[in-house]
Amino acid sequence: MIKKIVLSVFAIALMVACSKSDDSGSGSQSDGFDRQAMLTNWADNIIIPAFQDLNSKLLTLKTDKDTFLATPNLTNLDVLRASWLEAYKTWQYVEMFDIGKAEELNYADQMNIYPTSVTLIQNNITTGEYDLSNPNLNAAVGFPAVDYMLYGLANNNTDILTTYNNAANAQYLSDLVDQMQSLTAIVLNDWTTGYRNVFVNSTANTATSSTNKLTNDFIYYYEKGLRANKFGIPAGVFSTTTFNDKVEAFYNKEVSKVLSQEALKAVQNFFVGISYNTSVNGDSFSSYLNYLNTIKNGEDLNELINNQFNIAEGKIQQLDNNFSQQVETDNTKMLQTYDELQKAVVLLKVDMVQAMNISVDFIDADGD
Amino acid sequence: MKKIALSLLVISSFLTSCSSDDDSNNLEQQIETPATYSFERDGASTVDFNGQSTRIAMAGELTSALKIETNTEAQLDGMFAHVEGNDDFSEASLNASDKDIRSKVAASRDYFSSNATLSNAIKSDFDLWIADQANNVFSNWNTIATAGNAGQLQQAGGGAVRYINAKGFEINQLVAKGLIGGLMTDQILNNYLSPSVLDEGSNIEDNNSDVVVTGKSYTNMEHKWDEAFGYLYGAELDASMPVLGADSFLNEYLDRLEADDDFAGIAQTVFNAFKLGRAAIVAKDYDLRDAQANIIKENLSKVSAVRAVHYLQAGKVKLNEGDMASAFHQLSEGFGFIYSLQFTRQPNSSNPYFTNAEVMDYIAELSEGNGFWDVTPETLDMISEDIAARFNFTVEAAN
Repeated sequence: MIKKIVLSVFAIALMVACSKSDDSGSGSQSDGFDRQAMLTNWADNIIIPAFQDLNSKLLTLKTDKDTFLATPNLTNLDVLRASWLEAYKTWQYVEMFDIGKAEELNYADQMNIYPTSVTLIQNNITTGEYDLSNPNLNAAVGFPAVDYMLYGLANNNTDILTTYNNAANAQYLSDLVDQMQSLTAIVLNDWTTGYRNVFVNSTANTATSSTNKLTNDFIYYYEKGLRANKFGIPAGVFSTTTFNDKVEAFYNKEVSKVLSQEALKAVQNFFVGISYNTSVNGDSFSSYLNYLNTIKNGEDLNELINNQFNIAEGKIQQLDNNFSQQVETDNTKMLQTYDELQKAVVLLKVDMVQAMNISVDFIDADGD
Repeated sequence: MKKIALSLLVISSFLTSCSSDDDSNNLEQQIETPATYSFERDGASTVDFNGQSTRIAMAGELTSALKIETNTEAQLDGMFAHVEGNDDFSEASLNASDKDIRSKVAASRDYFSSNATLSNAIKSDFDLWIADQANNVFSNWNTIATAGNAGQLQQAGGGAVRYINAKGFEINQLVAKGLIGGLMTDQILNNYLSPSVLDEGSNIEDNNSDVVVTGKSYTNMEHKWDEAFGYLYGAELDASMPVLGADSFLNEYLDRLEADDDFAGIAQTVFNAFKLGRAAIVAKDYDLRDAQANIIKENLSKVSAVRAVHYLQAGKVKLNEGDMASAFHQLSEGFGFIYSLQFTRQPNSSNPYFTNAEVMDYIAELSEGNGFWDVTPETLDMISEDIAARFNFTVEAAN
């Protein structure tokens, strides 16, 4: 009898030992961090205010566009160009939020695919038949297409103004701007009328829950939208030559730097949890990491990531306003900026997500 | 008695079920090194490294083309940075391929993913060598080389004619031996055997649950390991049982080390580690996998080191004999292997045995003035001693 008890105790002990060694990697255990507080801060203080601001800037752009098209003179063109730049800067604060309605509509693809295709744009203008939401026209719409319409239609301002005597050009510009505003209004409206609650209440740790999805979006945007598109591709990191025409705002020629600085600031603010257009901060990746008290090489991961963003920002400061010019005159500086941006990818994509037990659903596909 | 037998049975069955799930606390190693590099799932082979075989074949054609003086720089560049569909190679399958060599030079995750600056500088070295060959060596193909002037030189006793640049460098050797480091070694040691690649994304979860890549028979992790394997054995007729000497790159020079009594056994050590590491992935034992990766890192790093010393010493002998053509040939091979040292990898470390800066110092010394025309035996000995010491072998052993 005693033997039996001993045996069964032993067996139970073994079972416990077994199951204990088995339960790693299930990925759904809660670490106790209040994800809902973070999601609420994201939605109410960062995402929705940024979309509101973008929508309002696009409404201004729309008004200025109507004024310009009614009276196409240089004064009105300058006002319109300034509104375009303001909206484009604000855009840098929302591109990473590819979730909900934005994801459903492929919103980002309709707003900021560059280089824009002059062939497609001219073809649209000539035929007058186009559905701007058609995925085949992603390279003929959004901010880069407006960049071309405001700066690239001719070689100087006088000639650009003249091109607007052509009603088809005027119509295309008008349609582009209206489309951008209307898409943004749809996305914003979805956030404010229902998606916000869905978003903040999805607190689990599964592939489809809010934190996991937005973390993936954030890192994907950082890696692709910011690091690769703005720096790596023009600098020739993925090719044998550099591409001076694959920079953001190629036709304007003076603002690729300022747009990239806004983008990095948006990334860092989101990481730290700073409310849009303020200096107040709330729950975020940063506080999540502090909560987990993650240590990497004896240093604080949150600090490492922030420092790396700061180093990258320092590199961007040294670049020409015109990245096209930078690539041609001193590409090494572009490469060095890329390298500093890349260093944060590893910290975010490996260290941060491991600490948070979030799986990354994309890899930097460069295999065979 | 029966009860005891029963309890032993129960205990042993629990122990068995326990240890089969466990990856770190094995009292004894349960995974055996397979006899061949063959792995299957549901009756289909899970081993695939066609991208690596393709690049080895491309590199082979490129290094041959560097010895054909009618080729233009554009043709050579086309072979180095092939674009899918371009008619760059003699083999149609290579022309159709979307693979290329250049993008994989100095392109490992561990060393270069956040060092595009250095990656670009290294790629440019290859570009410059190729340009030098096309523009300066080919155009002086029939002139006799002198210090400071490209041309040809014949080895003593009516031997092979060597075609060299102004510094006495035989450029096809720089490219070929440079690729052993910059392409093969770097991709194997610092990319595909790295946990940062093997464990990327959901690779561990997928491998644990045998989730295969869409449309393939292998898991992502298995495939990454096979891609490392492919850069060494991809040109073998039957890579499941390699015979070595199958290409003129890493495979060939691992064979050369094997043939040297001082290093004999290295080929089997490397092959066993590849097999056992792959079996460990199948068995989900990632500690065992990484232990095998460390064995591979140490031994494959040695290939460049031993051959660098070997050729510097052989070059020194020929210089003493006054056989400049032979000396320059040997030294050019040595140059390429020294260049390759920056891509080596110390086991259990994130560092190479020699940094880029250290390698570039050696290259600068060898290139100074008229390059090989006025290099001294002292310089060659000094570099040889440095390399041998850091890798813990003797200069004599490498001879």
